[in-house]
Amino acid sequence: MNYQACVCNLCGTGCGQFLKTDGTRVLGVAPIVSHPVSKGKLCVRGWHANELLNTNERITTPLIREDGRLREASLDEAVSLVVRRLGECNGAADEIGLLASARSSNEDGFALRRLAREVFKTHLLGVGAEAGHRNSMDSLSHAFGYPGAVGDLTRIDKADYILIVGTDIARQNPIIGGNLHAAQRRGARLVSLSSSRTQMAKLSTKHFQQKPGTKALVLNALAKALHALRTVNHARHADIDRLAGYTQYVNALRTISSVALENASGIRYEEIEEEAQILDAARSVVILFPSGISGLDKRTIEAICNLAVLTDRMDDPQSALIPVAGISNLQGSFDMGLSGEAGHSVFGSLADPDSPLRALFVVDHDDGIIRNRERIAALELVVYCGAFRNAFMDLADVVFPLTAYNESDGTYTCADRRVQLTRKNTDTPGAGLPGWRVYQAIAEQAGYTWGWRDAAEVFLAITDAIPAYHDLTHHRLAKGFGIHWDITAFPAAGQMKFHEVQIDYPKSPTCEEFPFALMVGKGRHFWHQNNLMRKTLIPRREYDQTLLLYPQGYVEICPEDAQKLKVKDKWLVHLTSSTGTSMKIAVKVSPDVQPGTAYIPYFIKNMISDFLIRYDNAFSAGEESIIPVRIEEK
Amino acid sequence: MYLLTTQDINDLARELQKTHAVYGPQVNAQTGQVFFDLLAESELPDLDAAIPSMPVKEILFPQMERILKYSYDAQAQRVTLEKQYGEKPKVLFGLRPCDLAGIQCLDRFFLGQEFVDDVYLAHRRQSLLITNTCTRPWDQCFCVCTHTGPAADEGFDLDLTRLDDGYLVQVGSEKGQALADAHGWKTAEHRRLAEKAAVVDRCVERFPDQAKDNKAWISRAMNRITTGFVKHEIWEYIGQQCFECGACSFVCPSCSCFNIEDVTLCGDSCERLRTRDSCSFSGYTRMAGDHNPRAPVEDRRNKRFFCKLSYTQSKKYLRPGCVGCGRCQLVCPGDIGLPNVVQYIRRETTE
Ligand code: SF4
Ligand code: SF4
Ligand code: SF4
Repeated sequence: MNYQACVCNLCGTGCGQFLKTDGTRVLGVAPIVSHPVSKGKLCVRGWHANELLNTNERITTPLIREDGRLREASLDEAVSLVVRRLGECNGAADEIGLLASARSSNEDGFALRRLAREVFKTHLLGVGAEAGHRNSMDSLSHAFGYPGAVGDLTRIDKADYILIVGTDIARQNPIIGGNLHAAQRRGARLVSLSSSRTQMAKLSTKHFQQKPGTKALVLNALAKALHALRTVNHARHADIDRLAGYTQYVNALRTISSVALENASGIRYEEIEEEAQILDAARSVVILFPSGISGLDKRTIEAICNLAVLTDRMDDPQSALIPVAGISNLQGSFDMGLSGEAGHSVFGSLADPDSPLRALFVVDHDDGIIRNRERIAALELVVYCGAFRNAFMDLADVVFPLTAYNESDGTYTCADRRVQLTRKNTDTPGAGLPGWRVYQAIAEQAGYTWGWRDAAEVFLAITDAIPAYHDLTHHRLAKGFGIHWDITAFPAAGQMKFHEVQIDYPKSPTCEEFPFALMVGKGRHFWHQNNLMRKTLIPRREYDQTLLLYPQGYVEICPEDAQKLKVKDKWLVHLTSSTGTSMKIAVKVSPDVQPGTAYIPYFIKNMISDFLIRYDNAFSAGEESIIPVRIEEK
Repeated sequence: MYLLTTQDINDLARELQKTHAVYGPQVNAQTGQVFFDLLAESELPDLDAAIPSMPVKEILFPQMERILKYSYDAQAQRVTLEKQYGEKPKVLFGLRPCDLAGIQCLDRFFLGQEFVDDVYLAHRRQSLLITNTCTRPWDQCFCVCTHTGPAADEGFDLDLTRLDDGYLVQVGSEKGQALADAHGWKTAEHRRLAEKAAVVDRCVERFPDQAKDNKAWISRAMNRITTGFVKHEIWEYIGQQCFECGACSFVCPSCSCFNIEDVTLCGDSCERLRTRDSCSFSGYTRMAGDHNPRAPVEDRRNKRFFCKLSYTQSKKYLRPGCVGCGRCQLVCPGDIGLPNVVQYIRRETTE
């Protein structure tokens, strides 16, 4: 049998995937029919994993930069060099930074953190996409007592009422999207809240198309209506009213004015009241929101948590509240402690020209965006570890080859805390090693003994150190399709709390001079900065065709606005922002966006570096960041 | 017509393994999922296993195949071409009748037209097809509606039917006959045909209770599709549900579309890869100069159903392009596997 079961590594859904392999090469892909979440389906990424895993663009040997060029080196040589050079830096003084990968296994992540703290003695540790996910984790911890999803993804299949806040999940996590669509067909009420008419919105029972920046307001209004209904009905729901923060929350909700709501969000309160009636009658409620790089801002996530608590349905066995991660092991990376610590941010250090940072250790970075390139280039030492060749190598002094996800044993924790095991099923080309082996080699050279012989032993150390993983082993995980980590490891689990809310009516930052609200979104064939998809054949063709049609990228506007501007699809326009940055870009006319709004997928390099970079919050506020712009015919 | 014991069948499989690459149904231990894959030396085909989860076309037209390697020696100014695919004769042991029908469709596409596809021919030329009559349907099956099962009626070399006291073996080609002659198999009496018919009848009777996932009134839908009577809104609703994953094409025994790409290796050599492709992708129909006759997703989506169900296409295959395996329904994250689309169309007709 050439088919080997594993877990797809291309987003946080964690679909069950067979790879057809002869042990040296991956020949094909098949879905796992009995997987409880993916149920025999895969998305376009998952179906083309074989193309990615066959790419010739692999890093196959350690490399060392000499006279400006990378040359092959032995592992020992590379390890010694790293140890010697990093030994000259003072980690405790924030001179060494580490950037982890949210696609690495838990074993790799755990070992990397140990390398940072124990060997390099640095607190400067971070993982890409962390800002968005940290908001989710903080809010969930406050509201439910632990940093992770409430319930799990299989509850979509049984819940009465499902709310999706602000993501085109059909594109970002298509298999979850498919399950949602199936839920809608079996009769669940599927409600989308998003400013543009996404595919998921089209497949929903109800779409609230709010004005940009007002998701939190609409969610709070829904909470107000739900609460009012229950007060009128004298419905006492458990002890919701005794929870911490209740009074402040309810008092704040009461202040919401229907008129101001409608003005700000474009949504009538009556419509929300009707929705609240249906929500009130639902026995089980599932709420999903995007987390990570295109995640929501803090106030929206807090509004989501509050609404979830207020429904008083979260302890129903079919209810859930899930931060849907776009990257396979984002949740696991947080569990392993790879996200930054307060007061120590790698991204901050890179951005600050006066920071003490001297060396950077990077794992599997997405090369679509290398921010602070000059700063990185000027560092004394840059180490890059990865399975695939990548633009970051140009900046690296030392490079270590890693295995791809099917070339070593490892566990991955997907969006809903499900920890799944992938076993090695194919040999790695060249001298690639699992990350933990590289980090252990470095630690050993520096005089530390970790003593791990295989990934299962690393996992044992994880179960000792990370309480939520205490009862898991590779052996247990080898049966079935993963196990959700244990929320009861957190003493506060189950103690619900409300977040403090402030009701505001965000005014559109647009004005006569800059009449469009520009939002940064994602393009269809653009995932994970396309670091990986660009190494496939078919998905890359699909992406290229977008680029062929819109070589300079595109900005999506609605047909009415296009008419007003007297422009047509693919015409070039000038986009000028209120801070004065500008760029030339093509127009894409789409009926799915609202008048007065413009969407831009962020895959064009110039755009990231020149145009958006000034808008710091375009990264941190994710979907909710709005930039006022003017669009002019060229 | 011969009657063989299970032992005889197993001996045949083992014997063929000496000279052929033998493929057959196998159950994945961890998941219980069935694949039709290369049998290891000691393995026997599991003739009772369910319909394989992936189509048998994987053997003749794999998801990804290296078909050519070429390199250029600049000094000698010489180009070298190397064929990358093997030609070891194959046995497909225990094919379900629907998968056989799929191979017949592929044969017509790759071999039966103006151009003959060398790579497919190389795999196909020396392959021996042994079918296995279905004694029961599975949830997803609707071959009774596409006339592709539960028993095969042509195109096999040998056809097996499990009877109470052994396997009835019918011969469908000279190759099959040669095998029978070489082994001196025991001929079966004529009454065995009636026994086979009873097996098939019993299987057909079980469809209403067991093959519950899909009911497709194909002939009716063919008519509507061919005459262009399906309303645009229906196609739009179908298109909206497409997540553009390509799965339906990848798992369909009769889908034949592919993409060719030359991938540069290190130095001066290049590999030519053929991968399966799908009409659900917009890059698939894009032409030079950026014209895309099927840009909106619903236009791409209905293409698949035209291909499977319209008379004009069926003339090419000499049968409908759908062979009733139900796989596209299982893998679709939307709700638009072929049998379901037929339902949508039928519902519209009755309304
Ligand atoms: S949805 Fe995510 S995990 Fe599932 S197949 Fe697609 S990329 Fe892989
Ligand atoms: S169209 Fe669907 S049901 Fe018909 S043969 Fe293809 S995969 Fe099977
Ligand atoms: S399987 Fe379904 S979603 Fe995927 S391409 Fe085919 S029709 Fe579209």
